[in-house]
Amino acid sequence: MRAYQDMVFSTAARLSGSDTQAEDIAQEVFIRAYEHFSDLRSSVTAGGWLKTVTTNLTLNYLSRYRKRWRLFSEMRSSTQDSEDDGAELDWEVPDTVLSDLSAEQRSAIVDGALRQLPDHQRLPLVLYHFEELSYQEIADKLGVSLTKIKTDIRRARAALLPLLQTVGGARDTLDG
Amino acid sequence: MNKRTEAEQKLEQVLHRALTGLPPRRAPGTLESRVAGELARRALLPWWRASFASWPVAARVMFILVCAVLGVVTILGGVSAYLGDRSFDEATALVLSWAQPFLTVVSSAGGLLSLLLHVIPPLWLYGTLSVGAFLYVTLFGLGAAAYRTLYLAPSSAGDAS
Repeated sequence: MRAYQDMVFSTAARLSGSDTQAEDIAQEVFIRAYEHFSDLRSSVTAGGWLKTVTTNLTLNYLSRYRKRWRLFSEMRSSTQDSEDDGAELDWEVPDTVLSDLSAEQRSAIVDGALRQLPDHQRLPLVLYHFEELSYQEIADKLGVSLTKIKTDIRRARAALLPLLQTVGGARDTLDG
Repeated sequence: MNKRTEAEQKLEQVLHRALTGLPPRRAPGTLESRVAGELARRALLPWWRASFASWPVAARVMFILVCAVLGVVTILGGVSAYLGDRSFDEATALVLSWAQPFLTVVSSAGGLLSLLLHVIPPLWLYGTLSVGAFLYVTLFGLGAAAYRTLYLAPSSAGDAS
């Protein structure tokens, strides 16, 4: 358990955006792992199994609150897509971000910024960049359209970059 | 490739470099003891309070058999008690007699609808349908606006425009 607890907790925390929920989910993941201990103890894919179970449990946990709003969420996406598709990024994208910070500092800043994103943006963004799923796989996992996934990830990136720059810049100033 | 697509691709690459390779978050020190405590709590539960999948196989088979027998006995008992010594034809007629009032109601409703369609001027019908559609769209729009205002607005504060 010690070998995987950081990975499990981290995956749940980044997906859910809440340490409290992540701890509940991690607990349930390890209880399930205990129930399958005979299969997992000698398996080389135990880490993958734990990651998959963590991802699915977190999505199940969040979907309890998400289902009732999915209709409006999809409608909101379709009505705003046309507005957003016509817009351009009105700021310059830097060549790097947070590159001069240590991995631990970057991790803390990224996790803080992810928590500020709404669920419908954070989930696909984390699945794409951290879990490295394709757009189609994310759409299938979340049960929403491919168009909405692409739109949400694009918006999430556009929202995340200023957050990283702001917090990263403030951290640089404080450190300096 | 237009300027916007280039900017988006660059943004994706920059963020991907910043996000990948980050060390995992450190799990709380209490996690291990929480899991051990929960496992101990569940181990103390009697088997019938655990999930059905973890029951002993014999208990699961017995449970399914008992449920099946009870279900069959209930259905057969109910049917035989109601029908008594009636023949098959009598029983069929009895069941059909239940359906008769329902068919009468459906038939009457159809006749009434047909009559109304002939009596009410078409303009009234179109007007009523239009008002209904308008009210539906209005209520749907109000619901969507309430959702966006009350539910999404606080969490979308970080959205870039």
